[in-house]
Amino acid sequence: MAKFCLIDSEKYYIKLSDQPKRFDADSPVTNVFFDDTNGQVFTVRSGGVTGVTVIGMDNSKNTSFRMEDRGPIISIKFSPDHKILAIQRNHENQNPTIEFVNFKDLAPTNVEYSHTCKWKNAKILGFVWPKANEIAFVTDHGIELLVVLPDKKQLKSLKSTSFSGAWFSWCAPSNIVLLAGNNGVLLQPFSLNNSSIAKLQKLELDAARPVVERDVFLLRLCDSTWCAVFRHGVSTTTAAPGPTEVWLLPVSGNAAHVTHVLKTGLVGRFAVNVVDDLLVVHHQSSQTSQVFDIAESSGTGSAGGGGCVVVHVPVVGAACMQPARLADHDCPMYSSNWVVFQPDYIIDARLGCLWKVSLVPSALAHQIPKDEIPKIVAVLLRRKDSEDTVYRILIQLVENADTYLVELTKVFDEINSVYREWAEWEMARNTAGAGAEARDAGRTPLLISQADLCTRVLHARTHLPQLVQVVTAYLSSLCRHSMVVQHPVAELCVRALVTRGQHGRLRALVRRGCLGDARPLACQLLALGHLQLALDMMARLNRHEDIVEVLLGWEQPVAAAGAARSAGLLHRVSARKLLAAARARSPPAFLALYHALHTPPRAPAPPPPPCLAGEQCDIYNEYYRQLTLEQAT
Amino acid sequence: MIDVKAKINSFFIFNSSFGPKEGQELKRVLFFHPNQISADARKNQVGLCEAVVKFMSTFSSGPCEALQTQSKRYIFYQPEKGFWMVLVVTIPYATKASSAIGESQGEVLNPSVMNDLLVSAYKMFKLFMGPFKDIPIEDIYSLCDEFFTPYIMSKNLTNDISNVIQGVSYLPLDKNSFFKIVCFIDLLEVTYPDFKCVAFVYNDQLIWNGLATNDMLTLYQYLVQTLLPKQVEKEIQGGAVATAQRHGRFISPADSIRTSEDLKKLVKVHLLREDDTETRQYYLIIYRALSATVCFTIDVNIPLEIETFRSLDAFIGPHLSTIASTISEQCAIHALQTAQLLNTDQKFVYFNRLNLAYKSSASLSKLIPSASIKPEVLSIIADMHTDHKSLGSYGEIIIKTPDEYWITGKSSNEREFYVIIQEKNANLKEIADEVKRICESQMKGIFFYPM
Repeated sequence: MAKFCLIDSEKYYIKLSDQPKRFDADSPVTNVFFDDTNGQVFTVRSGGVTGVTVIGMDNSKNTSFRMEDRGPIISIKFSPDHKILAIQRNHENQNPTIEFVNFKDLAPTNVEYSHTCKWKNAKILGFVWPKANEIAFVTDHGIELLVVLPDKKQLKSLKSTSFSGAWFSWCAPSNIVLLAGNNGVLLQPFSLNNSSIAKLQKLELDAARPVVERDVFLLRLCDSTWCAVFRHGVSTTTAAPGPTEVWLLPVSGNAAHVTHVLKTGLVGRFAVNVVDDLLVVHHQSSQTSQVFDIAESSGTGSAGGGGCVVVHVPVVGAACMQPARLADHDCPMYSSNWVVFQPDYIIDARLGCLWKVSLVPSALAHQIPKDEIPKIVAVLLRRKDSEDTVYRILIQLVENADTYLVELTKVFDEINSVYREWAEWEMARNTAGAGAEARDAGRTPLLISQADLCTRVLHARTHLPQLVQVVTAYLSSLCRHSMVVQHPVAELCVRALVTRGQHGRLRALVRRGCLGDARPLACQLLALGHLQLALDMMARLNRHEDIVEVLLGWEQPVAAAGAARSAGLLHRVSARKLLAAARARSPPAFLALYHALHTPPRAPAPPPPPCLAGEQCDIYNEYYRQLTLEQAT
Repeated sequence: MIDVKAKINSFFIFNSSFGPKEGQELKRVLFFHPNQISADARKNQVGLCEAVVKFMSTFSSGPCEALQTQSKRYIFYQPEKGFWMVLVVTIPYATKASSAIGESQGEVLNPSVMNDLLVSAYKMFKLFMGPFKDIPIEDIYSLCDEFFTPYIMSKNLTNDISNVIQGVSYLPLDKNSFFKIVCFIDLLEVTYPDFKCVAFVYNDQLIWNGLATNDMLTLYQYLVQTLLPKQVEKEIQGGAVATAQRHGRFISPADSIRTSEDLKKLVKVHLLREDDTETRQYYLIIYRALSATVCFTIDVNIPLEIETFRSLDAFIGPHLSTIASTISEQCAIHALQTAQLLNTDQKFVYFNRLNLAYKSSASLSKLIPSASIKPEVLSIIADMHTDHKSLGSYGEIIIKTPDEYWITGKSSNEREFYVIIQEKNANLKEIADEVKRICESQMKGIFFYPM
């Protein structure tokens, strides 16, 4: 199979951020914690006595401070506004308590307090900050949502719900907690929005194969929240376990009832990230990563019990991440010291590095089978920073249209279907009125309008021998999507055809209505000498004034007057102009026109005949008398 | 209807410069039909024509066009300098000279039809053999005989409206299907750069043309009048073969292309492609799947490989079959929609000189016995069509025959539109209004100069 390779594209489509955030490595005296809500690493040296350093991707929130060592820390997190620090410690046989320190300008004040959960003998599994001043204690007895009143140094319980869970997973962007109960057979999500706790539809898994904590991730993808579960060895034979699949079970959002099954084809240890609405699955033993796009339409669906199941394969073949470098040394990739956090963090605790994972859009088009180009473009159209890549692919395809005409046609289809879907959505939104809900169907996809395609791709390539074929392919794609051909494309098409002498194709396209009807196009055709086509188009557009002008321009005053009269425009045309043209032509033409101007039209409500009495017409009245006299004699 | 074959007295081609000396007169006759005519009679006929043509040249700078005697009508056509094609038809005459002409006029082939016959015969000859002047003298007699004898014999020339106005019937098609065809052609030309698609025909209607207008008409006539009827007949006879042929095959050369031997049977044609500046010689390859026929040209100087044709076959077959079935669906839909529009008893003919588009109402099509048009009416239309210049770029003529036929000819911007109405006690205004109504209902989206 022929391969396509985007020029100047790189091999690695997943990379780590160039400069990792450095922190003190994990050691017997230093403990490292990560808060995935704020994306911050806490390094606690000697229990905080020799200092706590907080670093994150956002440098303005970095800080360091000291605190007393009151026992081993389990979890330490800032509130989203960085005004309260909450610490969970491991105290044997003590009440389930969380400590709080008020902060001001990222520095601790000496206001400290603590709060004990309502279930006195519960074990706190962890805590999360759904809002700036709201904290939820997640315990093995249930969840308690509290509001923190830092000034009063106390917390007030807002709501609590009982659930017997062993561990939990937290998704900060959607404020959903997933508690695992019944030994990993039952997964119960709770929404902590609106200062309340709402129980969501529970996820029941196969009782025979419960899940463990490291195989479950709560993540946000394509504006929905999903529970990603690794299902190892799904095949029926236990002797040779099949490859691992990732199941995405819908938790909330608009994609309910669809379960996505991602086929990794690999066995071993995995971790997931979410990058630009793509699910990235890292596989440790093969040192590769795969990307899945659940928005792709090519996934094979099948209706299962209770909902639809869509199966996906990786967008492109598995590849390793771009090797990261650290002070002129290659970092070990896929190291066993890595810890992967949602949505896109990777921490190497031994090295003391915090990276963000990102996508290199152009690398998705590096060495791909020719017939997968349209699919890749479709994937790219849904990405954030892919505009440049899509245009580069387009340009490369257009410049090699003799090889890629089929693929190019399909790429146009992808572009136009995205555009059309968006246009329809916009129209629906506009008709619904401005008061309708804000756009929640995700961000605007990458839109390539007809004008964009002309200015950014085609205009600079009018010399290409296959331009006509390319434009035809584009027109046909527009037509398939019932989109009106806009003037830039029509103009480009006409020019391409004319410069290549393909007037026959131009006529055929216009006659069959493939370029649409528009006044500028009609004028262009007129200028090119395709008079018949131009006049037909003007007539279809009801541009009667233009027709009259054109006919006058051809010195056909009688025809012009006829056209004006049949359109009811005779009174608007200058009689002088008509008569002057007729006189220049021939006496019979003049007489016919003169009579026509005097005869009231047959229309039921005759508009007033043009004024012949004015001074300017006197010479023509005189000429008429002269002519009729001649005839009489 | 008149049987033209019986009326053709003779058809011959001569060039006076081929045998300038006395005793070489027969050499001047390149072709003579019917061939059972004796050499003397040939000499006489040709001699007369030579004399007339020469004589007339003293009076006019233009070539002589016709000669009418009491019993015969001669039509002359000089396609190339020195080469004269002459068609002679017998006209029935009565001894009473005074009334003869008026009564018999309808029985005679219209001169314009005869002239058109000569012109298309020449053009067809040129398509396959090239111009006369390029053919060596020693070959020209046999070539002419080889070509014109079957041509004249097969020419089923009747006084039909489609012979009076020779045009091309275009298939109306929705945009998407049309784009499918264009994209298929593009893909084919891009994949096989040596091949150029010059025509795409569905049934007997043209969809795509890559030739200059004149050559297109000739090729179209060859396809629709000669090649395809034979092919369709074959397909009907070989009912069982049809399924095997679903994926299409080469129909020119006639026995498809299977071995490299078959490549030698490829037909050569002289064509002017739309983007070329001069006529060149090409191989003509015709491929057919279901009802769709595609014609390609390939330059004669390009070495041919049987492998190319095999891969071409594998490429076109499935594509063309899919397209053909799409078109047939579209046609069915379109036929339903237009059935009502065309099934009225209005009689009209539309012709566009620019793309030679020809369209007529159902009541005038060949399927229905054309006896419905009276020869006189046809003759009037033929005259208007031939003399279209008198109408200028736009105009309208309404003619009433003694037997209450109203014939309207409209000309507008290279387009012609004829309506035949039989109506007793009608007046001019009623007819004009009726014509306007028909024109508006049948010719949507077309600009006719308002009258």
